[in-house]
Amino acid sequence: MPDLVWRSVTELARMIATKEVSPVEVVRAFLERVTALDGKLRAFITVCGDAALDAGRAAEADLAAGRAVGPLHGVPYGAKDLYNTRGVRTTGGSKILADFVPADDATVVSRLRAAGAIVLGKLNMHEFAYGPEGLNAHYGDAMNPWDGGAHRVAGGSSSGSGVAVAAALAPAALGSDTGGSIRIPASLCGISGLKPTYGRVSRAGVLPLAWSMDHAGPMARTVADCALMLGAMAGYDPADPTTSVLPVPDYTAALTGEVKGLRVGLLRAHFTDVAAPEVRDAVLAAAKALERAGAVVDEVNLAEVARVAAASFAIVPAEALAYHAEWLRTRRADYQPDVRERLMLGAFVTGLQYVRGQQARQLLRQEVDGALERRDVLLAPATPIPAPRLGEKEATLGDGPSDVRSALLRFTRPFNLSGHPACSVACGFTTGGLPIGMQLVGRPFDEATVLRAADAYQRATDWHTRHPVLA
Amino acid sequence: MLPPMEISLDTLKRMSRLAGFDWSDAELEAIRPAVARMLDLLARLEQVPLANVEPTTQYRVL
Repeated sequence: MPDLVWRSVTELARMIATKEVSPVEVVRAFLERVTALDGKLRAFITVCGDAALDAGRAAEADLAAGRAVGPLHGVPYGAKDLYNTRGVRTTGGSKILADFVPADDATVVSRLRAAGAIVLGKLNMHEFAYGPEGLNAHYGDAMNPWDGGAHRVAGGSSSGSGVAVAAALAPAALGSDTGGSIRIPASLCGISGLKPTYGRVSRAGVLPLAWSMDHAGPMARTVADCALMLGAMAGYDPADPTTSVLPVPDYTAALTGEVKGLRVGLLRAHFTDVAAPEVRDAVLAAAKALERAGAVVDEVNLAEVARVAAASFAIVPAEALAYHAEWLRTRRADYQPDVRERLMLGAFVTGLQYVRGQQARQLLRQEVDGALERRDVLLAPATPIPAPRLGEKEATLGDGPSDVRSALLRFTRPFNLSGHPACSVACGFTTGGLPIGMQLVGRPFDEATVLRAADAYQRATDWHTRHPVLA
Repeated sequence: MLPPMEISLDTLKRMSRLAGFDWSDAELEAIRPAVARMLDLLARLEQVPLANVEPTTQYRVL
């Protein structure tokens, strides 16, 4: 079946359940594609070929025996290489953990396994998740599949997840998002990615970057696939005390395609108005598309966003340093230079500054909550620019020049501080053929509405159905 | 508010030692510009009236 790798998770799950295709055939199709393309794309750090095929055979046997199966039975996926996987090395994209083999799965990996999903391999990432470009000096830089003529960054830190899904090396992936690390690669690679509400998905067994800002979430080509994945991943976990006991709704059932009367707040100042012109125009067009589908769109500004970078610098380096302190005493030379520098900065943040950051964060959270009192979702670009070339240092935004790193983080980081759920989906392409991403932000624990709006947008447009041309 | 402080190598050395790190002069000199940029950014938080704002330390655990 030549187009098997381009089938969605939802389609694959149905085809496997109805025995239209064997899980072994599905796993083999993706492994063959990884073999053919990943030498150039570098999406994978570890490919679990034999284990995935064994799991595929077991899934096939379950079906043949008529045993009860989960909603993702036999569907393969890739896990960012900071999710612990029992018996499979989990490097965090680092040299330091190059030989670390966890004894247990992360809670999310365990839940996906229980739902029938199969780990195809471990995906590339910015070392220890500390960078929005998705660069890795140890395992090679993942390559954005959308521009075969130039090496453009995939976005990070979940770069391998973005590339694997965009290039159909896997139908879905796990990412993690501390400043935008799911939504940035989703935007730059033209796929869908959901950062759930803080507390919705367990982080147990996921290597931390900054505990109070880390979120685990799904990435796939369609929003419907993210909804299916989230349903299997979400829920209270005693191993992660920040998870909520709120019941997990049926996210797939929430995808009605209906947005009539949905109140959408278009974020203008600090967001859409300062994006690169092609990005701004695509997001404005997306707002119009939602309006045509029946949504009610108004404009809204978030003034507290001006302090997001400062609050983030007060929190992330200090929390990251706390995790890395021992290695920064004994194994500094083993970090890639940009990550080492960012981690060392944490030593110069005082306790007062850390608390100031947490106080500023509260103001932002209150402001976002306020904006969502009279609206169901907020709409903004996911990133102000499309994928930059590898090594590109400066970007031009609507309010002047910016270094690429700050530009990539600018629109996503506010919602890591505030904890609100946010979903990035493709909303256009530049004249040069690069994807443009927008994000929809919702009320805490209302992923269902965010997903419904994003899915309705995908039903009305075809951006998410485009594929990069790969040799 | 105090005027911006010159971030000398000696200052970095003392601060990093206080935090428990024995980093070399060369390592500290390499990150000095980044530390200065970060501290400039963090100083902006002191301009915000935050005294009566409860910090975000607990999440929406319901």
